[in-house]
Amino acid sequence: MAKTISMQKLKRQENMMGYLFASPWLLGLIVLGLFPIIASFYISFTNYDMISSPNFVGFANYQILFTNDDLFWKSLGNTFYHVAIAIPLGIVVGVSLALLLNNKIKGMSIYRTLFYLPNVVSIVAMTLLWLWLFQPNFGIVNEILAPLYKLFNMEPLRWHQAVETSKITLIIMGLWSAGGSMVIYLAQMQDIPTSLYESAEIDGANWIKKTIYITLPLMTPSIFFNFIMGIIGGFQVFTIAYIMTSGGPSRSTYYYAYYMFDKMIADQAMGMASAMAWILLVIVLIFTMIALRLNKYVVYLGEEA
Amino acid sequence: MKKMMLLVMILITSMTLIACGGDEAGDKITIDFWHMSPVGSTSFSGMRSIINDFNESQDTYFVRGTGFSFWDYWDKINVAVASRTAPDIGLSTIDDVEARARSGVLYNISDLMASDTTDAPLEVDEFRQSQLDFATYQGDLYAMPFSATTRVLYYNLDMFAEEGLTEADVPETWDELKTIAKKFDVVEDGQLTRIGFDPTYGNATYHGWLWQNNLDFFDENKLPTLNTQAHIDVLEWIMNFNSEYTRTQLTTFGEGNQLLGINPFASQRVAMIVEVDGLYQIIKDAGATFNYGVAPIPIPEGGRRVNWGSGFSIEMYDNGKGEDEQRDGSFLFYKYLLSKDVQIRLAEVNGWIMSHISAMEEYVEGNPILEKLLAEVDYAVDKVYIPYAPSWHGNDWQPYYTEALSGTKTAAEALEAARLNYLQKKQNYDAVNP
Amino acid sequence: MTETVKKPWLNKRQKDLIKKILLHTVLIFLSFGFMFPFLWMLFTALKTPAELLMGTDQFFPKDPQWTNFVTAVQSIPFLMYLKNSLFITGMVMLGTLFSATTAAYAFAKLNWKGRDKWFIIMLSTMMIPIQVILIPTYIMYARIGWLGTRLPLIVPAFFGGGSAFYIFLLRQFFKGIPRELSESAIIDGANHFQIFWRIMLPLCKPAIITVALFTFMGTWNDYFGPLIFLSNPDHWTLALGLRAFQMQFGGRFDLMMAAAILIMLPSLVIFFFTQKSFIEGITFTGIKG
Repeated sequence: MAKTISMQKLKRQENMMGYLFASPWLLGLIVLGLFPIIASFYISFTNYDMISSPNFVGFANYQILFTNDDLFWKSLGNTFYHVAIAIPLGIVVGVSLALLLNNKIKGMSIYRTLFYLPNVVSIVAMTLLWLWLFQPNFGIVNEILAPLYKLFNMEPLRWHQAVETSKITLIIMGLWSAGGSMVIYLAQMQDIPTSLYESAEIDGANWIKKTIYITLPLMTPSIFFNFIMGIIGGFQVFTIAYIMTSGGPSRSTYYYAYYMFDKMIADQAMGMASAMAWILLVIVLIFTMIALRLNKYVVYLGEEA
Repeated sequence: MKKMMLLVMILITSMTLIACGGDEAGDKITIDFWHMSPVGSTSFSGMRSIINDFNESQDTYFVRGTGFSFWDYWDKINVAVASRTAPDIGLSTIDDVEARARSGVLYNISDLMASDTTDAPLEVDEFRQSQLDFATYQGDLYAMPFSATTRVLYYNLDMFAEEGLTEADVPETWDELKTIAKKFDVVEDGQLTRIGFDPTYGNATYHGWLWQNNLDFFDENKLPTLNTQAHIDVLEWIMNFNSEYTRTQLTTFGEGNQLLGINPFASQRVAMIVEVDGLYQIIKDAGATFNYGVAPIPIPEGGRRVNWGSGFSIEMYDNGKGEDEQRDGSFLFYKYLLSKDVQIRLAEVNGWIMSHISAMEEYVEGNPILEKLLAEVDYAVDKVYIPYAPSWHGNDWQPYYTEALSGTKTAAEALEAARLNYLQKKQNYDAVNP
Repeated sequence: MTETVKKPWLNKRQKDLIKKILLHTVLIFLSFGFMFPFLWMLFTALKTPAELLMGTDQFFPKDPQWTNFVTAVQSIPFLMYLKNSLFITGMVMLGTLFSATTAAYAFAKLNWKGRDKWFIIMLSTMMIPIQVILIPTYIMYARIGWLGTRLPLIVPAFFGGGSAFYIFLLRQFFKGIPRELSESAIIDGANHFQIFWRIMLPLCKPAIITVALFTFMGTWNDYFGPLIFLSNPDHWTLALGLRAFQMQFGGRFDLMMAAAILIMLPSLVIFFFTQKSFIEGITFTGIKG
């Protein structure tokens, strides 16, 4: 009898504790976050030029976007392409870098710092440099690849200047910021007990086996994290195109968030931009929830051991 | 743990070191003025002393100036206007004053002038009618022109001399332009290293070339026109100006210019270029030492002398709070900033051409380049504000323009696609704007 | 046939040496690529304006203009901006660490009604682009009178504002800690505060340091927040102040790069020192063992 009572009490206590621990964030969301969010939702049903007051237009914005706006679909398509390719690639590169940098050799701190450098450098500087590096005629990238072009008897790639390769080029440029996810993977790797590796060595495992059977599985929580964040961030890709290609050539790198930005700043149509934002939210939410469902099957959770 | 302690110590130290800003205003009425010379810019101290002089000349009002860098200024002012927390006086663009006037966020300057009983009225006659027209809405002035920009042809005299040419040979027509330009092209190892002229470089624009031909993007009803043969001809002239070189050569050369944002004329990679008056200041600051001159942009046959010029407006913002005292003080400072002597000082400090006519005539005296620039301001026209496509010359046109220039679309196709885009925008705009 | 004992081609020591050499080669090669942008920035910062005009023909500066850095520092009230940056960044770090760890613990380790629903909502807050929230947020702060103060930049951090990323991150790390740990602690009579403070946080030190590092960098380099919300120039941060210096007419890229390097140096230094603690970090003694 006494045991049952204390179970209930424990459950209620845990419930209270949960809210207590979450309260700073919850309070912040409700007090400071709610108004702007609700306001932007309301604005999406209005016509608002940011100077006069918004005036209500119902679903007109949404209707126009779906039925009479070519760029809406174009920018959405570009964004889907980006997400589909950049995220898996980003994970592979990030994990590989972390694996590479998790070794105890001399000067590792310096290497890690160097790899992290691109995340700290200003985007403007990086942009100009990339434009120079990828220039089809005098850029280093094509110079290095020249023998390959000769070998396959093909024209040098025109990278960001060609409609077919512009998105890929931007994705490659984005990979240079892999240092950010690398740090998170490294942090996760520190939590892997060395005893696991030791017992594996005793069993005669080489580094490949150790990586596949110990490191990678135990890294799945952070891989999954970067996957979700990749989805959320990937759908909002904008800056890199804004600075480098202005959405071209032929709108091939005109991403959804770029179009939304133009609607807001160039067209002064805040209502339409807000509608675009909320449509994006729904899309990303759907994808994220699908990904979260996968959580169970993919991620190693220490507590489920 | 140690890190925590360090952090906390830094916090406590910084908190104790941070002094509260003193209130220099005291009993005076504070007036907020936003401009584009932030702390750290070269024009900061000049602007500050202009403001200080006003503050010291009277006892009632205290003007507090805050500067933001040019790129950030627009974010700041737009957010402020949208939230009705705009400064008392600020700068903006003159071509869309109408939009702000219509929404009631600006004070009516004509009204303020009418009720001005002092003996130092606003000297409206000192400003060009073309600029004043843009600042007028329903018959009243809602802003004043502050600065004026213009576009001219810059030419490199040293390069001219190399080819045995002098100032007298500076082209005045499109045909002359082409002939003279070709003398300067230099190709080394199959790559262009110097070009005489290109109609897409610098600050030349398609609509600038159109205006010279008495054409435009829109008609009097603000509908897009781009569908005549004449439009196509102008665009093709632009596209084919340097057609003896391959697309690859041209893009390589063009991108070589864009790296590091170096102005191709300042780095002597082009002999002639259409650019804004501001290039004068850039060349001066960069310490470039070659000889150059400016001239009106060459005119097509049957065309007219006109260039795209714009400028900042200076506006008084009404946040709807009935702040009459601030308004009166602001108007005093407003007139001060638009008075002759201050306009001269503003030109010196910012390197701009200001809007006050006789002030600028005095300012440019003795400087042949500035004199020529000022002369062209008289022929400057600003672009019309199109409500359904405020960025009609930027975002809504550039993608199609680039496609035409790169050969992806023909001139006719690009113009047609652009026109259809405008029409779709108009449709969508009308759907939500009764 | 006699059996020959196969002698391995290389003994272990030689294998290790080769592995080391290979690793170093790959690392040097890759890191050069990562380092290149920084080198270019540095060289640009050290050039004279005349060299800038020569563009890519002149890659290395002939006569390094270290004075460019001095100019950048002297042109703004450097110390005042530095103090502001330290203050704001410090406060935001404190606030974020507080609110993000507590929320993450709640999401990861505690069962409470609606938890999963709130988790989705938390993720959703990251899906709204900041541009469309900006004006309503600004209006809100105007209404409650926080404009003209530093509160809009500091207070949200203590309430999980902008921390969804970190909350999610920490939640993943907390989840990786076996349930038995907390369960045995409960049996021993510990309450959740003690579990949180004594067990969870220490075990997730790498993650917490990561959060601290990212928060530092994000706040230190942020110019947009201060630009919009700080109306008093005396409150300006280094990022904002140096940006004003950067964005001048006249295209002085050398000065611009000098300022950019100055802004990013603290982040680099801090990164270098914090990631050392990743190595020395925690010696985990066989939890699973």
